[in-house]
Parts: sequence; structure tokens; C-alpha cells
Amino acid sequence: MDHSAAGVATRPQTPDIDFALIGHQESWGAAADVVGFLRGPERRPLHDDEIKDILPWIPPRAVCHVDVASTNGAQARGIYIDSFIPPDRLDTVYVHENIARVRKAAACAIKAGAKIVSLGGFSSILIEGNFDQLPERHDTVFTTGNTLTVAFIVQAIKKLCALEGRDLASSTLLIVGATGDVGSGCARCLAPLVRRALLNARNVERLRNLAAGLEADAVQLDFATDLQQFSAEADIVICAASLPSPSPLLGRIAPDAIVCDAGYPKNLSPSADMPAAKIFFGGLGQITGGMTFAPDFNGILNRHPFPDVVHGCLLEGMALALERRFEPFSQGRGPITKHRVDEIEKIAARHGIHLGPLYNASGPLECELPCVGVQHRAN
Amino acid sequence: MEPLIDVNASPIECTSLSPNAPIWQDILAQAVTGELLAAMNYASLSEICDDPAEVADALEHAQGERGHAAAFAAEGRKIGVDVANNVGAKHWKRLREAFLRCIAQRDFIACLIVQEIMLESFAVASYSRVGKVAPGTLGKTFARIAAEEEDHVDHAMSILTAERARDQQRFDDKVYCLHLDVMTTLAQMLAKECKDGHCEVCHATCVKPSLFDVSLSAAELRGASLQQYLKTLDMLGIPGEVTLSWITQLPV
Repeated sequence: MDHSAAGVATRPQTPDIDFALIGHQESWGAAADVVGFLRGPERRPLHDDEIKDILPWIPPRAVCHVDVASTNGAQARGIYIDSFIPPDRLDTVYVHENIARVRKAAACAIKAGAKIVSLGGFSSILIEGNFDQLPERHDTVFTTGNTLTVAFIVQAIKKLCALEGRDLASSTLLIVGATGDVGSGCARCLAPLVRRALLNARNVERLRNLAAGLEADAVQLDFATDLQQFSAEADIVICAASLPSPSPLLGRIAPDAIVCDAGYPKNLSPSADMPAAKIFFGGLGQITGGMTFAPDFNGILNRHPFPDVVHGCLLEGMALALERRFEPFSQGRGPITKHRVDEIEKIAARHGIHLGPLYNASGPLECELPCVGVQHRAN
Repeated sequence: MEPLIDVNASPIECTSLSPNAPIWQDILAQAVTGELLAAMNYASLSEICDDPAEVADALEHAQGERGHAAAFAAEGRKIGVDVANNVGAKHWKRLREAFLRCIAQRDFIACLIVQEIMLESFAVASYSRVGKVAPGTLGKTFARIAAEEEDHVDHAMSILTAERARDQQRFDDKVYCLHLDVMTTLAQMLAKECKDGHCEVCHATCVKPSLFDVSLSAAELRGASLQQYLKTLDMLGIPGEVTLSWITQLPV
């Protein structure tokens, strides 16, 4: 990275931007890695308290350019914009502050001329029900990316069932956070494939509406706002709402249950309480055509134990950019259908964007691809 | 330390003396020093202006900054403290020297960048913060002067934006060179602790650890100042990813 005055010159001033990705750092360790990279190796790394004094003051802005290539030869140019939401301010108490940050990040994307913007991680959760709060968009469209996230969760469940020799059709599926955009999309795709579906969320009216829609497909299901109210034990679990720990699941799921952590931030990990459970991080995909960062933030912004793995929500914008389909594919809360999931899955696959290798906080669940080790530099 | 300029001239009756008065005294001393330095900078700028209107403008700004210094000094008297000033204090001296280098090169644009983009960002952000927590007229004075300083920035922005449009590359390189010089010094001033000794403006020990007593912190003033600086650079059109690396490389 060129840190001289000429550093300004080495980057194109107004490149054509196909897509923008809006994200933020999931942990102070991740934030420290980003700041450390920007400071360069010749300056001392900052202490955690120094990072905490700096990061919350940084206005949302582009951090780097991201170029992606399709396996069919197509290419798309993008930028990564960080909203700089502090990792310890993801609670609902900060929701207005965080929406304001995402709005400003969105304004950066519009100003940069991005044709499509994917809202990553928590940004997607904040905006899925608040699209009207985005700034005036001109020729820029926004997608939450949730449809491709759902596609990868569904694919991963099917893959792990196959790997484990489980019969999906005889399984009981529990979805925590079932009425959210991702949770309801998963319910529509998977509930018709299992023996029984258990839907859990905080809002009983939304649960009732979701259940009514699924009952039309003759799905056997129960719904409850309290996990303890379910009589059946789940052997496949999708946590589409972030759980602080697996403890609410204990006693409600089979000891060897397949558990997909599809919440944000991802914080379920194999524990002594559930030693036999197969826990994995859901919603992640992998670009096989190639992805480059300028400056080279590879392994810093995408902190996964496998190369070119990215959250599905961000990959959706990349896939649509490679397809030259600049449309708000995923918008609002709750409209994700199996038909739309199939559609985005096909678009992604056409460009070599597939389900990523399955892993959790302890490491890979399968090692069919060479694992590059945990790439991030500090925790 | 000897004040270089007497801004404590007119007598004002002291209306209160709070336990936090020594903290406000040091905050005011930094503000008065900054305003006097700005007045000196504008006076110097008037000497390199060719256009009589620009000369008048610079002198008017210099007068305005002296007025701000006097207003801050008056606020000090109201709370029963003498507000010192020291434009020769080590950090302020370096800032003045950086500005004088631009004057020596008769570089009007560089002068505006240093004064309006860098020093005023610091002033607008820190005065605004102080204005929110300082009691009574002290707070109102800080808030009023923050707003006036912001008007200065707006005036300069139109000149600087036009200049950048002429040659973005050259302009951005110039800003970066000045950033390394001026913002490094400002960042050291705004560091959480004064690691390289007394700042030569505070009347006793460093005021920074006491800022919590008046609902401020050095980190907050630093963060707000750099945020304001980044926003100003954004308005100029310098790419955000470039300015992000600039500010993360500053001393902490």
C-alpha cells in the first residue's frame, strides 16, 4: 500500500463502480486488524482502548476496492464501505444511531455511483424493515442480500444432512427468529421438506401469519414465543436470531442436532453443554472465479478459515452485478419465497458463487477444500 | 509562561467560582491561544494577498479571531480566573511555523488548507463539544464561536473546491503534505496524555485527566476533531478511503 502523497494518485479517482458492499467489523479484534493494516507495519499497533477511542468517530466511508470475477469470464468492480458501527453497539438501544450510520454509508455508495448495494450483516437487519429510511437513490438500487443468505442456509442444511446420513424428511426443524426476513425465508424453503416444523419468534401475531401461510402447504407445525412450550425435540435448528449462548436451546433439541448459526453476530460455538451437536455458521458462500481487494485487505475484511468466503448477503450484490441485473432483489421483511431463492441460487451458480465450506468457531466441519487456517491477525 | 498578547483588558465582575474553574481556565487558555494564533495567521495571510478584497477579508478574519480570544478571556473573568495564552507553546509554535512556511512560499491555497481545513476543524469540533457541557454563558460563548468558525470554513470551501477542480492530483498531494505536518502536531496535542511533557499552556499540571470532571475527555475532543476534519475533506471530494488511511496513521 502506497502511503506517500502519491498514494492518492495510485488509485483511480472515479472508476465505474458496479456494486458497493456495506458492512462493519464484528469484533474489536477485527476492527484492530483493519486499523492496524491502514497504519502500516512501520507504526506500532494500537491498544484495544485506543481503537475504542478512534473507531466510533470515523464517519462511514469506502475502505477499499473489491473486484470479483465470474467463472464465465464476467467481471465486476466494487467498493467496500464500512459503516464503522462499533462492535459493542449492536444492541437495540443504539438502533437510531446505527440506522443513521447505515444511511451515511448508503449515501457514500450512491455518491460513488454504485449501481447495486448489498447491505452486509447487521446493516441488513437494520434496514430490512426500514428501506424508506435510505437516502434518495438516483440510479442506485439496494438489496439486503437475504435471499442468497437463505439459499446458502438451506443448501448447508441439506449438505450436512447428507454428510451425516440424516433423513431430512423425517426431521423436526426448529427456527429461532422465524418471522424475520431470513428466518421466514428458511421456513418457506425447508418446512415443506421436514416432518415437522417448530417456529419461534417474539411476536405471536407474526408467527400466526407465517404459520397460516405454511399450513396452506399442509406442513405440520407448531409455533411459540417461548422455546420451552414446544413438546417436540428438534434435530435441525436454524438460529436466525442471534442467541447470546446455546443455553435456551438446551433440552429443546436433540443432543446430536444440526445447528445453523444464522444470526448476527455469529456467536454459537460447540460447547460442553452440546458436545455432540453439529454447529456451523450459516449463510456463507464462496467465490470461485476470484476476488481481489485494493488495498489488499484479503483475510482482514473476510476473516474466514477458507479463501474467498463471504457472507451471502454481500455475495448477492456481487452475483447480481456479475449478471448485470441491477435490481433490488431482496427488499423488505418477509417476502422471500422458494421461487426467489431458486432464482438467486442459479444466478450465483452461473458465476461460480457457491455454498462455502462449513465451519464454526472451533474450525472446519469438513475439509474437502484446503483450509488456509484462521486468516485474521488478532482476536 | 508569559502571555504574548493581553486579552484580559476590560474588567468584568466575577459571578461565580466553581470547583471546576481551574479546568475551564485551562480549556479557555487553549482556546484563547488558538484564536490568537489564528489572528496572527490571518494577519500574515493578508501580506501575501494581491487582491485588495482578499487583504480586507483576511484582516477582517484576523480581527474576528481577536474578538473570539477576547470573548473567551472575558468568560474566564466571569468565573474568576485569569486566562493565560501562549502562542509560543511548543505545539502551537509548530503550528504557527507550519503556516509561516506556506506564507514564505506565498501559497495562498496552502494557507487556507492549514487554517480553514485543519485548524478550524479542530476549533469547530472542540468548541461545539465544550459548548454542550460548559455552564451558562461560558457554554453559549463556545457554541456561538463554534458556529462562527464554521462559517469561515464554508467561505473557504468554495475557494478550495474550485482549486481542486483545476487539478485534483496536485491539490490532494498538497493536502497530504500539509496533513503530515500540521495534523501530526494537532494529533499530538489531542493525544489522551501529553507524553512528551507539559504543553506550556495549562496553568499547572495537564488538564486532560481532569476533563472527566466537566463531562469531557481528551478522547472525545480528539475523536470529534478528527471526525470534523474527515467530513471537511469529504466535502472537498478527497476519496474517503484515502483520508481514512491518513487519519489512522496519526499519532495516538
